[in-house]
This record gives sequence, C-alpha cells and structure tokens, in this order.
Amino acid sequence: MSETRPESDVEPADAAAERTKPHRRPSPIGSRPLARPRTSPAALAPNTARSGHATAPVHRVSAIARQRRRVALLALAGLALLAAAMLAGICLGENDLSPARALNALFFGTGDRGDVLLVGRFRTPRVLSAVIAGAGLAVAGAVLQRVARNPLASPDVVGITGGASLGATAAVALGLAAPLTPVAALGGGLCAATVLGLLAVQIDGSQAAPRLKGGISPTRLVLVGLAVQAGLTAAVNLFIVRFPAELASSALHWTTGSLYGRNWNETIIGAVTMTAALTAAFALHRRAAVLDLGDDAAGALGVRPGPARLQLLAVAVVLASLAVALTGPVGFVALAVPHLVHRLAGPPTPGTLALNALAGALLLLTADLVAQHALPLDGLPVGVVTATLGAPFLLALMARQNRPDPRTAR
Amino acid sequence: MPDALPTTAATRRRTPARATAVLAVGLAALAVCVALSLALGTRPVPLPTVVDALLGHDTSRDALAVTGIRLPRTVIGLVVGAALGLAGAVCQGVTRNPLASPTTLGVNAGAALAVVTAIHLLGLTRPAEFLPFALAGAALAAVAVFALARGAGDLDPVRLALSGTVLASVLAAWTSAVLLTSEQTLDEARFWLVGSLASRGLDMLAPVAAPLLAGALLAFFVAPALNALSLGDETAAALGVPVARTRLLGGVAVVLLAASAVAVAGPIAFIGLAAPHLVRAVIGPDHRLLLPGCLIGGPVLLLAADVLGRMLLRPTEIEVGIITAFLGAPLLAVLARKAAR
Repeated sequence: MSETRPESDVEPADAAAERTKPHRRPSPIGSRPLARPRTSPAALAPNTARSGHATAPVHRVSAIARQRRRVALLALAGLALLAAAMLAGICLGENDLSPARALNALFFGTGDRGDVLLVGRFRTPRVLSAVIAGAGLAVAGAVLQRVARNPLASPDVVGITGGASLGATAAVALGLAAPLTPVAALGGGLCAATVLGLLAVQIDGSQAAPRLKGGISPTRLVLVGLAVQAGLTAAVNLFIVRFPAELASSALHWTTGSLYGRNWNETIIGAVTMTAALTAAFALHRRAAVLDLGDDAAGALGVRPGPARLQLLAVAVVLASLAVALTGPVGFVALAVPHLVHRLAGPPTPGTLALNALAGALLLLTADLVAQHALPLDGLPVGVVTATLGAPFLLALMARQNRPDPRTAR
Repeated sequence: MPDALPTTAATRRRTPARATAVLAVGLAALAVCVALSLALGTRPVPLPTVVDALLGHDTSRDALAVTGIRLPRTVIGLVVGAALGLAGAVCQGVTRNPLASPTTLGVNAGAALAVVTAIHLLGLTRPAEFLPFALAGAALAAVAVFALARGAGDLDPVRLALSGTVLASVLAAWTSAVLLTSEQTLDEARFWLVGSLASRGLDMLAPVAAPLLAGALLAFFVAPALNALSLGDETAAALGVPVARTRLLGGVAVVLLAASAVAVAGPIAFIGLAAPHLVRAVIGPDHRLLLPGCLIGGPVLLLAADVLGRMLLRPTEIEVGIITAFLGAPLLAVLARKAAR
C-alpha cells in the first residue's frame, strides 16, 4: 500500500513554506494573505499541523512520523472493513449464502451451479464496481477540493458528474457499443467542467488569465454548479422523454446513480481505466503539494502553476467521469470522504490520498449494502441513499463556511 | 398601508404616461405570444384557417387542431404562466431574495415528488386528482426549506437558495427512485414530470381554479406589506407591518399558486425566477405594480418558450419544461453572480 511510500515530496514543500513566509504565521486575522483563503482545508492543513511546534523542528519530525503511523493504522482498519463489506456484498442477497459457500463458488467454481452463477455473474461485478467507482469519486473529490481551494468543490456538487451522466445517456440513446460509454461520459464530464470553469472565471471578476483562482467564494461556486446541473438535468430529461419507456428507465438510472446490473465487461473496462487514472493522480500529488504553497512559491520551486493546476483538474474530471460511466452520478462520496479523511488522518500526503480511495470504496459499497438490504424499499438505487445523506452534509459544511472557522483564528 | 418604496427612481418611473406605455407594450407582447401560440404548431395550418376555426366557421381537421389542441394549450399556458410568475414574485418579496422562486426553493420538486408517489401508490391517472398531493408536497417542501435555512441563522439570500436547490436535488433523487421501481409509473409520469402544456383539456383547470384564485388574492393582499418588508424586518415592523404574518400569508400564496401550476402542467422550471426579474427591470420594485406585471410577464415567457419548443425540432416538439430549464440555468448563474457577496 502506498501509505508506506516515502513522503519526501511534502517535507521540502513545508520547509519552503517556512522559508518563504516566516512572517506570516503570527499575523493577525485581518492581514491574512488573500492568496491562501482560510476556507481551504488543503491550504489550512500544514498550518494546523505546524502551528504549535513550528519553532521546534524535532517535534515536527515526530509529528510527521506520528501521522504516518496513524495513516497506516487507519489504512489497515479500512482494508479490514472493506474486506468485510466485500464479503457481505457477495454473501447477501435474495438467497443468503454462507461466506464459505460464496468464496468457494467465487474462487474455485465449486458447489451449487446456481451459487457460482449468482456470485460470479451478478454479485462480484456489483461489488467490484462499487469499489472502483467509490475510490475514483473520493480521489477526484480530494484532488478537486485541494486544487480549487474550495471545501465544497466536489465533482457531484459542481456538475461534473452531471455532465458525465449526460454523455453516458447520450451514448445509450445513440446505441453506441458498451466500451464507448466511458468515453462518452468522459466527454460530457470535460464539457461540463469547461462550462463551469468559464462561468466561475467570469464570476471571479476581471481576471485576465483564464484560470481558477482561489478567489471564488465557495458557496458561489456551488450555486453556479447547481445552475449548470439544472441545465444538464434538462438535457437528460429530453432523452428520457424521447426514449421508449424501457430505455427511459435505463436513462433514468444514469441520472440517479445505481450499481444495479453491472456486468464483467463494464467492470473490467472500469478497473483498467480507473487504475490508470488513479496512478496519474498519485503521480501528480507532488504538484498539488507545491501548489498549496501559493503560485509564487510554486514558481520558485520550478512548478508552473497554470499547467500544474490544469493537469490536476483534468485528472479529477477523468476520475469522476470514469466512476460515473460505471455507476452513474452517485453523490456525496466525492464531497464527504475527503473531509472525513482529513479529520481522521490530518494534512494531505500520498498516504491520505490512498486512504481517500479506500474510504470512498468502503462508503459506496456500504451505502449500496444499506440500500439493498437495510431499507424496506425494493431496488432502491444507491444514488438515492447517498444523495439523502449528502444534502445535510453539504448544508452543514456551508453553515461552517459562513462562520469564522475556529481553527483559522490563530 | 405605509407607502414604503425604497427608491425615488422607482417613484419617478410611475408617471401616468409611462405606466400606460408599459402596460400597452406588455399587453401587446402577450397578444403576440397568444397569436403565435395559436398560429404555430407541429401541424402546419394556414393562417386563414386558424382565424376561421377560432370564429367557429370551420370544422376541418386543421381547424380541430386549432380549437381542440392549440386553444386549450394557450389558455393553460396563460393560467400556469401567470400562477408561476406571481408565485415567483411573492417568493422573492417574502424572502427578500432575488434568487428565490418555486423552483430554486424546492417547492416545485416537493409537489412533483408527492404527485409521483401518489401515481405510484394510488394509481392516479388524471391530473385533476394530482392537486391535493401537489399542495401537500409543496407545503412540506416550503416548510422544510425555511427550517433548513433558518436553522443556521438569519435568512442569507445565497444560503436560502442553496438550501432550496439542495433540497430540490434530494427530492428529485427520491422521485427518480419512485420512478425506477415501476416502469408503468415512469411511462405515465415522465411527460408530466418534465413540465409540458401539451395534450391537456380545459376541464383540467376546473379543480385548480379555487386554489389559484385564493393564492392570487392572498398575493395581492400582501403586496403592500411586501414593499415594507423589502426595507428589512425591523423597519417593516416599525412601519406597523406584521412581519411574521406577512411571511406566512405570502408563503401560503406561493404554495397555492405553485402547487396548482404543477398539478396542471408539471414542474416547469425557472418561469417563477425569470418573470419577476423581467418585470422588475421594466416597472421597478413596487410590489403593487410588480405582481400585476407578473400576471403578464409570466404568460409571455411561458408561451414564448412553448412556441419555441414546438418550432425547434419540427415535426416533433420539445416540452416547455425542458426549454425553460435550458434558458433558466444560465439566468440562475448570472443572478447568483450578482447576489453573492
């Protein structure tokens, strides 16, 4: 697991922050530099970790070591929980199987033929889809929130998953082959991200350079994203009305987010593409860490902020779109997981990025299990469960946005 | 009632000559939209036939298309547009929020969810039966959104709009969930659900007449108090306006108007947001003029969108709810830009 990877890419960044802005730490609230909005958890993170110990480097090192231990422990716990949830996913259903029977059927193909079919053909792809999509969504959310310096900027809130689901719906409508669905979703996601970027930049005021600056108010971005979402929903509705009823139902799946009826073909395509995209996200992590220091410091460290930011945004969009191509726009995961991980594991490192993937997979899989088994309604799509959980979470986050954050009042 | 106009510019605008001119232009625009709605459709009907059919001289198939389909559709468009426009204006007045509307506050979505659930569980088929459920759903959603926005403090405009939109997205997810469990419900509800004026008879207006009328009367009753409210709660109270009662009555008016419109035509988005802004740009912020203005502005927008939907993809048509959502989304983005701090 990557939590054991060396974290050398973060430490020089922190050290550079010490060098470049030694006078900023004790500054009063009013004179906080605008380039680093206090609302961003990513920008905030190194400060909170450091604030008490900044004058004693020895303590800092031990703090980093402590965080590493903590991340490793959390990863172990997460892996254990994920394994348990996956096992539950292949055991539970209309016919509950014992774990031994299910595992036998899965790995050795022995036992009852019905079991083998049930586990191998239906339940395993569903479980794997949940894991892949959950990991992708959570990492996409983490990267997006960090780069946009906005704790509310997750692909489902700002409309990227809506665009991807429009692309996927269009692919279904035009009768394209299954392997093309992720491509279409990707196209839709990129289009939505571009529209959002243009609107957000416009909102930013007279910024000459077309780039996402830190100046966009988080709630404003959400409102613009919801507007984009409304337009996209209208487009999907157009398809739903145009289709015959049975196709309309499958189009509706794409607007809600559901793990129902995943097959091996889609799962394998999803797994391969998602692995590539996740690798890219980890490879770019160093740049995200440098960007956290502000554009000037990043330039001094040899990272051009414009292209780096664009690469990271592109990776986030690709991750979210691939997840949508697999499951439809499942909300909440991308928004909530980075916040939970940040609270549990502390400032972002490659290790916490891996934790994000793990927690996202766990959350989506658990939500699907709850939707399938714990609720009295039959065939409830997982997207409904996550949307219901996500709304109060989003509102609570926004409420905290408008209050001065106690952690920043240092 | 206290005359509480906030700006002198608005007062200056109310010269009799200007008022007459604005009224004339508004009525002319409405007449043009009605004429277009009667004259244009997926079935090409020559203009003389349209006139003959309306005068009752013609009974050909073409004439039937005009009297049997386009005329009811236009009338329903007028009524629904007026209801949505009025509801939007009251929404914005009550919440003192330029982003408020039955769509952005989740009221439409609440009505839609209740109706779809009723279709699914009770097997309703006639929109006339939708009304009580639409009313209940709209009322619940309105109460919920105010509770959500209130819970965290004062009624910040962006917060209220966000709470409403977030609530609307959850309600939409639950609507999808109901639709996904039953293909039959989906087939019955999907055309209603996107918002459409097509294939509805005039008899559909009978059951909603009473709530529409009550809602409109309430709206006009609170109009002067809304002017005072636009100065802020404390000033309004100092001027002798019962703030809480005004909010409550305004909210009831919004629920009555929006739920009736949804029961007839489905949740048509953004007319309630756009119409008050359009009218306000022309005649200023005085609610005593704004509300009647929305009775003209709402139908103009709705009929124009409906005609556009009929003409874009001939010979098929696009439902008016889809057109308004496409046009309304950028409007919301622009307004959000203006409203946020």
